[in-house]
Amino acid sequence: MDILLQQLVNSLSVASVTILIGIGITLIFGLAGIVNFAHGEFLMVGGMATWFMVGAGMNFFLALVFAGLLVGALGFAAERCLFRFTLNRPMNGFIMSIGLSVILQHAVIRVFNEFQKSIADPVGQVWTIGGVDIIAMRAIVVAITAVIVAITYFGISRSRYGMALRASVSDRDTAELMGIPVRRYVTGVFIYGSLLAGIGGALMISLFPITPFTGSVIIIRGFAVSLIGGLGNVGGAVVGGLVLGLVDGLSAGYGYPEWTDAYSLVVMILILVLRPQGLLGGTLGPKAS
Amino acid sequence: MRQLGLGLAVAAAGLAMALQTARADEELPIGVIAAQSGSFVSAGNTIVGAANLAAQQINDAGGIKVGDKTYKIKLYIRDNRTDVNVSIAAARELVNDIGVKAIWGTETHDFSVSMAKITGPAKVLQFSGNSSLGAVLDDKAVADDGWLHYAFQSEPQEWQRSGSTAKGVLSLLTPQLKSPPKHSVVFVGNDATGQYLSSHYVKALEAEGQKVDLVRYPPDTTDFSPLLTRIKGMKPDIVHFWYNGDSTLTAFPQALKLGVAPSYFLFGVDPGIYQERSLKADVPVTLSCVPVCWGSSPFPEVKQYFDKYFGLGAAKGPQSSVSLLYYDYFFWYAKALETVGKIDDPDAVVAELLKSDYKGVVSPVPLVFNKHHQVTFATEVCMVQPNTSDQFKCAVEQPPAAPPPGDNGG
Repeated sequence: MDILLQQLVNSLSVASVTILIGIGITLIFGLAGIVNFAHGEFLMVGGMATWFMVGAGMNFFLALVFAGLLVGALGFAAERCLFRFTLNRPMNGFIMSIGLSVILQHAVIRVFNEFQKSIADPVGQVWTIGGVDIIAMRAIVVAITAVIVAITYFGISRSRYGMALRASVSDRDTAELMGIPVRRYVTGVFIYGSLLAGIGGALMISLFPITPFTGSVIIIRGFAVSLIGGLGNVGGAVVGGLVLGLVDGLSAGYGYPEWTDAYSLVVMILILVLRPQGLLGGTLGPKAS
Repeated sequence: MRQLGLGLAVAAAGLAMALQTARADEELPIGVIAAQSGSFVSAGNTIVGAANLAAQQINDAGGIKVGDKTYKIKLYIRDNRTDVNVSIAAARELVNDIGVKAIWGTETHDFSVSMAKITGPAKVLQFSGNSSLGAVLDDKAVADDGWLHYAFQSEPQEWQRSGSTAKGVLSLLTPQLKSPPKHSVVFVGNDATGQYLSSHYVKALEAEGQKVDLVRYPPDTTDFSPLLTRIKGMKPDIVHFWYNGDSTLTAFPQALKLGVAPSYFLFGVDPGIYQERSLKADVPVTLSCVPVCWGSSPFPEVKQYFDKYFGLGAAKGPQSSVSLLYYDYFFWYAKALETVGKIDDPDAVVAELLKSDYKGVVSPVPLVFNKHHQVTFATEVCMVQPNTSDQFKCAVEQPPAAPPPGDNGG
């Protein structure tokens, strides 16, 4: 029983970073219509920036803020200099983002090196409750993720900005005629999604070491989460992340362990076949015009 | 006018001398194919680092004297971008266009085998540090007309390394535990290399009397907590993290937090990295390196080597010691060329390598190639004193004489 409870706790923490990257992708892909395959590398850059700042003596939580702002700025630059020119041709943007991901990997190798980077656990405590070991930093990651999810959810569903954004996705031309500065909103979404990737990278390196290639692995899960939940749907990304986390945790614990990745992707395929719009529904993603 | 004439004469004499020197030092083209980008870059850069250091040392010492000529090594380094197709293209270019006499590389079995299909027919020697080549280096393959006649495996066979590692780990951990360990879990990445290596290591542990469970994880896993929780439920005496150093460094701290086992073995994690990461465990932990540790070696030659290797700007990483799977063979190859007296007789060089030995950095005992073109040397295993990051006790364990029961040695 202890092992089962431990696996459920594990599942929740497995889900947290995935949810963060999933939200970033779901916003950028689902609302801004940009398929940014370099989003995983944005997360990696956030992790590397955190490693660098913590190594230079900065407090982890300040470094987390720094990483978010840095990657937000990176997102701004990428949107203005690259993706802005591919808004009407999403496939061009997709291919461009693959190139950007390789460039970012090798830029990081050039600036630092190719080796794995890690930081000391910022909290360094393990709580044992009823025979279940809860790693304190993981609990903090879950809490930070919950706060970000709440802010993003209310920002998208309740604020004027969020309503205007959703209107832009439904009918871009009409939204522009109504005076909504759609392009500026796309830039805003891209920056916010990138900022979340930066924070995700900071949280990730507080739990696990990262390498310049970490992003290319996690991006697949990020897209899976956003598609399972429904593109552009923040709640969907949370549900998608939890579904994948649960499948990962329980399959690793009780199934064939080497198949862990495959189980969660089989679940994704099944959901996309049975509910193409995702579990909670969402936009249809980018459309070529 | 006389001064100008004198100046011209001096210049002409200088030019003639320079030309003579240039003629005396001929170029020996050697290829290096390694990942300098892509996911194998950690291992690939070590091959390049070793090649640069060896070539520099040989050239600075006057070069290779073959007959009445002196050759300086000229390296042609190609990035395989962690791509088998790029490795093949690079091998073709080095062999056909540049005309290298030998190639060092590359990181993995599949890439090395693909390269050998190009180097073999061209009679270009190939030195590859892949223990898994044992699966293809047999009597037929290395025969005079075999497709691997010119290929050499510069890392011991896997059953040898597994045997010496298992013995070293158990001999260091047993006195530290309350009762002799009986149950081991081998935790390994589920890729071709992981499957190959762990199959030998499991047999080696069983030969030492262990009951062994094998748990494979998907490559690129970052959150190991579900898998480690499963292993905790198996109640092992030792968890052996096998073979990818980066994955081990990700999983091991998680295992410590979850209290998975009363002792651990970390394959491919150098004491230098353990110290640099400030890792600390309240239970006994053993480490081994491929092939020897840069962080805590008992041999002065190894320490001197790594001082020079890192002095050339190479980064300190879990795989830095892999460079020693390549370094010694430059000197051995040079010695063989000098003995043969020709650089254009690869068959004679192969024969000379097979009958000679070489006392390198990697082993205090001279290196020897067996009839299947494979070397043998010992494994260094270290134990970290509990609750410390920098107190190591290291031992060098010799390989067993024969494969354990159930291991065909391939």
